[in-house]
Amino acid sequence: MRGLFAVIALDLKRLWTDRVRLIVGLIQPLLYLFVLGSGLGANSLMGGGKYFAYIYPGVVGLSMLFTSVFAAMLIVFDRQIGFLKAVLVAPVARPAIAIGKVLSGAIQALVPAVVLLFLMPLLGIHPGYLGFLGLLGAMAMAAITFSALGVATAARFKSTTVFPIISNAVLLPMFFLSGALYPLANAPHWLKILAHFDPMAYAVDMMRGALLGTLFFPLGLSIGVLAGFIIVLTWLATRVFASGEDA
Amino acid sequence: MSEMRAAIETHSLVKHYDKVEALRGIDLTVNIGEMFALLGPNGAGKTTLFSILATLRKPSAGSAKVLGRDVVDERSAVRQHMGIVFQEPALEQKLSVRDNLLLMGLFYGLRVKAARARTVEILENLGLTDVAARPAQKLSGGQKRKLELARSMVPNPDILFLDEATLGLDVDARRNFWAQVRQFVRSGRTVFFTTHYMEEAEVADRIALIDKGRIIALGTPQELKQRIGGGVILLTTEDDARAFAWLTEQGYKPEKSERGILLVSAEPAAVLPTLLTTMPIKTLRAEVHEPSLEDVFLTLTGKTLDGGETVPAKPTFTIGTAP
Repeated sequence: MRGLFAVIALDLKRLWTDRVRLIVGLIQPLLYLFVLGSGLGANSLMGGGKYFAYIYPGVVGLSMLFTSVFAAMLIVFDRQIGFLKAVLVAPVARPAIAIGKVLSGAIQALVPAVVLLFLMPLLGIHPGYLGFLGLLGAMAMAAITFSALGVATAARFKSTTVFPIISNAVLLPMFFLSGALYPLANAPHWLKILAHFDPMAYAVDMMRGALLGTLFFPLGLSIGVLAGFIIVLTWLATRVFASGEDA
Repeated sequence: MSEMRAAIETHSLVKHYDKVEALRGIDLTVNIGEMFALLGPNGAGKTTLFSILATLRKPSAGSAKVLGRDVVDERSAVRQHMGIVFQEPALEQKLSVRDNLLLMGLFYGLRVKAARARTVEILENLGLTDVAARPAQKLSGGQKRKLELARSMVPNPDILFLDEATLGLDVDARRNFWAQVRQFVRSGRTVFFTTHYMEEAEVADRIALIDKGRIIALGTPQELKQRIGGGVILLTTEDDARAFAWLTEQGYKPEKSERGILLVSAEPAAVLPTLLTTMPIKTLRAEVHEPSLEDVFLTLTGKTLDGGETVPAKPTFTIGTAP
């Protein structure tokens, strides 16, 4: 438990010290929300205001996806400069390192996402008490899933040159397929099928369900799929850290 | 039951990467309280051996124990009692000196309060209290290394592993660093280190020379030097290749080095005058000196400890001028 705490404490202390990363992380989701909301909303049949409410969960998801995956990518950077060795050589149980990294990435992703929550009244989104709690739960689950995806990936890489590749080849397709910008219910059949393989689709659907009351996937399926992703990805990350080759 | 255990004990340690055999059977014992140096050229298996002992890599075969505990099966226990300084910086550059140590304390299972106390103690011991609030990246090279040493002291280790720990430091900073390390040894604890600097290896109680994955010599610096006999003659001639051929013909056993031709001799002072008068190639410079560890290495392996700076031993006397 103390190992877990140490891993998380180190990462959060580093984020707090790195003010640039902190501030950019807070501004970025606002940018996504207003640019996407205004640009796409103006051309949407739903009308601007309604569209804001519609894409709001998608923007929260997008922000959390990028923040948590890039937080995890710091593992690669740490490996490159040698700092990771100092962490790995400490007598901390390997699962604690993997779980700690996943949780710290999720926390880092939730900080800007929570700031976005304060904008809800301004955007005319009033989810009510239960909806709000549901949204928080869905956000936490989404953040942990994305972070686990980042950690499982980053644990394997030795060089930071993979960042843009991951971003273009994995994250953006995940976002576009997720139904963050359009309703999956009206999407063509092939896209619906692909969305079933996209953890972000379930995450966005759960958040949207909490806010607007309509779900595309059954809730149980979404929770099961995300939990499955979290367990498998965290296990994969643990395996890398437990390989016994920490040099 | 008070049983004197070895600090490090390995049996037929083997490591291969794919098809490359990095270690070909290492049997080594390092005593508790010893300052032990591992010397070898790049690619000799030095880093691999160091990494296995410091629990960073797994051996392919054989076994290694540190402080009586297996480095694979009891890895966590070994780690709890060892400190390590890596060749590369292993600090969070943006965090302060204090926070770097404090957070490491948490990694070693200390509670926040205990980690704070430990941090204060280490800062004082190493004379880093004045820079405690400074971000690591704002420290001088010597201070940074000292902070690395401070980090390695967080678990209050019984054994310290140093991998080329002073690489790139100036002489003063290096001296300072080793003074701290010696203080650690004086308290009866063990240090195992690798280095490229010959004068650093000289401070070790014992040295192991490693080449091609095997320990080729082991002993005190004095013993190692005695192994190759009286002294070393270093010649620079007009035509080293011809001189080398001639010397071989005459029954000498010359070695090529970056500095010229090396001749190990039981009585160099007696041999040199004869050499200078009989050799048909003009000698530009001749030196006689006590064998250095570098000479020992050259004689045993036929190659220099490349890849690092080596400080040639001071010649006992020199004839001729430098080319």
